[in-house]
Amino acid sequence: MIELLHLVKKFGDLTAVNDLSLVVPKGEFFAVLGPNAAGKTTTIKLLTGLMKPTAGTARVAGFDVQTQPLEARRRLAYVPDFPFLYEKLTPWEFLRFTGQMFRMEEKRLAEAAKELVARFNLEPYLRKPIDGLSHGTRQRVAIASALLHDPEVFVIDEPMVGLDPHHARVVKDTLKERSQQGMTVFLSTHQLSVAEEIADRIGIIHQGKLVAVGTRDQLRQQSGSDGLLENSFLALTRQEANFSEERAKFKTPEPAAPLPPHGR
Amino acid sequence: MAAKPGNYDGPGPLRLLTQVSLVQARRRVQALAAQSRSLLLLMVVFVVGYIVFSFGTFHRALRFLGSFPGLGSLLIERLLFLLFAFFFLLLLFSNLVIGYTNLFRNRETAFLLTLPVSTQTIFRWKFLESTLLASWAFVFLIAPLLGAYGLHNRAPWHFYVMLPVLVPLFIVLPAVFGSWLAVSLARHMDRRSFQLLIVAALALFVLASRFWLSPEIVDDETLETRMLAVLDRLLVRTRFAQHPLLPSYWLSTSVLSWLEGAMSAAGFFMLVLLSHVLFFGFLAFTWMGPFFYEAASTAQSRASVFGQWEWFRQWRARKSTFHFSSGFVDKCVALLPGLRSDVHALIVKDVRMFWRDTAQWGQTLMLFGLLGVYIMNLRHFTQQITNPFWVQLISFLNLGACSLNLATLTTRFVFPQFSLEGKRVWIVGMAPLGLRRVVWTKFALATGASLAVTLGLVALSCQMLKMPLERTGYFCFYITVMTFSLNGLAMGMGVLYPNFKEDNPGKIVSGVGGTFCLVLSFVYIIGALLLAVLGSPWKITGPPSPWLLAATWTGFALLSLGLGWLPLRLGLRRLERIEI
Repeated sequence: MIELLHLVKKFGDLTAVNDLSLVVPKGEFFAVLGPNAAGKTTTIKLLTGLMKPTAGTARVAGFDVQTQPLEARRRLAYVPDFPFLYEKLTPWEFLRFTGQMFRMEEKRLAEAAKELVARFNLEPYLRKPIDGLSHGTRQRVAIASALLHDPEVFVIDEPMVGLDPHHARVVKDTLKERSQQGMTVFLSTHQLSVAEEIADRIGIIHQGKLVAVGTRDQLRQQSGSDGLLENSFLALTRQEANFSEERAKFKTPEPAAPLPPHGR
Repeated sequence: MAAKPGNYDGPGPLRLLTQVSLVQARRRVQALAAQSRSLLLLMVVFVVGYIVFSFGTFHRALRFLGSFPGLGSLLIERLLFLLFAFFFLLLLFSNLVIGYTNLFRNRETAFLLTLPVSTQTIFRWKFLESTLLASWAFVFLIAPLLGAYGLHNRAPWHFYVMLPVLVPLFIVLPAVFGSWLAVSLARHMDRRSFQLLIVAALALFVLASRFWLSPEIVDDETLETRMLAVLDRLLVRTRFAQHPLLPSYWLSTSVLSWLEGAMSAAGFFMLVLLSHVLFFGFLAFTWMGPFFYEAASTAQSRASVFGQWEWFRQWRARKSTFHFSSGFVDKCVALLPGLRSDVHALIVKDVRMFWRDTAQWGQTLMLFGLLGVYIMNLRHFTQQITNPFWVQLISFLNLGACSLNLATLTTRFVFPQFSLEGKRVWIVGMAPLGLRRVVWTKFALATGASLAVTLGLVALSCQMLKMPLERTGYFCFYITVMTFSLNGLAMGMGVLYPNFKEDNPGKIVSGVGGTFCLVLSFVYIIGALLLAVLGSPWKITGPPSPWLLAATWTGFALLSLGLGWLPLRLGLRRLERIEI
């Protein structure tokens, strides 16, 4: 469902994404972790077509996001960490706008909106302008509008920002439920507990490379640590940092990016 | 799973975006009316007042120019060509800047790029939006002028029907070229090289205007005996505005021909304009999408353009050794005696923010740079300007121009200062410095910096007009009080009408408080100038009576206190109970 094939993105001398390859099958809940400036957001931008890759291909539901952008975007939903919303519209007007942009039939739009509004507890805010809503409520509006057209691939960056524990639970449950129904979820987060709790597989990006990928148990094995995901994460990113340091010290030629075996 | 496009029978994306935009605009007006009906009324009165006032002024100016025997209509005609040529350049520049921001620095654009909407449609929408934003002021300026010109020439009714067709056609071409330039610049230039290009272009424009439009230096004898030759040389300099390939030429010729009753010529140039609009507009509407996407991706992906060059890399490498020392601005501000360290830090931060924001210093440079060039050129006229009426008129007009420029800048940059600081309340607001001192420091910095420019320009203007010391002192005193008042007004209104939700200063200014501040600034300037003229001890009709003198000076003091000191005072009082 998501195919990232040898993706490379360079900003001048800096390689933000370095030969990254990954396949996320239909219905999988995939979480991507990584330290700051690891290349997670750039990877998401390449996947959603906001940026052109220097090399490689990104495909969504079999459609190349560069050569068949409309087909790919029709099947995709993307919620950034600080989503854009039309401030003077009400949540209902925004939901309607999004549905119409995805060319949804009026009846289907109304039914889907009704269900999502109930699920995300948005009824009290439907008639209020978005600029008066709290950050958490806006985040719920953004997530509900992205789920409205029933996307095949759902990409979300830091979904829990501003959400109270109750609504964070609702979001997690909804995304998990949808993924079990066949929606592929690609989630980027710094909250390791979220990834640990709901992801089928977890990928760790560090210095533009996918340094590890697998289930929680597979990551524990790869890192040689046990217990919490945090230990595996710290061990894997430290290993990679030490490896890079050594490589720089001895100026050895850069080896090809190790591609850990994919689960499933 | 995904929506089936075949079953959808609603509006297309462009229509949807237009609808959303109209709904948002309507809600903004409703919010304004709900917040203060009197403010809305004041704005309506201001707009209508502006149209009536400028219409009357243009009509009188045209009558005056038309009164020169044998030359009047030629002068007016040439001025029209020049005016539209300059407007074309300004529209091009305005479309370039607004188009660049709207296409490549806009969150809505990034949002739309993730929706199943073609890049061509996104470009179309952003192009329409930028064109409107960049051109509305042109229509606002040109409408009373063309109306007055029509009345001056006793134009037939169909002239006024033709104008709303012709003027929008003219707007399209600089909009298309501006958007092309914006896309090309984003594709090939980074922020630093773009800044350098803008400064170079502005400098070139100022130099070119100075070279081409520098006045003819003539002595009295030549003026009396060879007036026509001098005028001819002057008019030759402005002939570039009549180049037949300029769109402004097509518009001007069409307007002039229509008024002369030469309908076939008017129709011909209108069709020339229309055919170019259709051709270039069609290209923009059907071809630019992929180029825009390419440029948007490149703009996000690019490292420094200069980084390609070895000398730049070496310079960067040298600079990369960090010395943990204070910077240049820090050292300069340290020269000011008696500053507390927190006030010092705030001033250094504000100076650095100003310097690193191209929009701020670019606009300041343009507004005051052009005024400076004009004032410098006044020295060429001083031999001709011996009539006290002209000296008086020009000196007051200079005072007006200087204060209007200042009002634009204080509203644009000083007004949003507090709102922006409120957003960063965890730094400045929580520091022991206290918000009250923050506001005072910002007011002092803005007033000090603007006073250096306005006082300098007014003193220079008086010097160029060879005014005696006491009159120079009179104008310098006036601009000093006005600078204090306009900064106090902008700062005070910024605290009274804060917007802590917005990061973009442009959006903060376009709200209720910013609009109110601009209107009040103009009201203050008009009032202060009227009082300055009435109370001038050097009036041509003789010095004013002591009563009138006392009344005008008291009026000026009250006006400055009411619109400068009072808002600042109210703002400072509001700080005591402000909730961020």
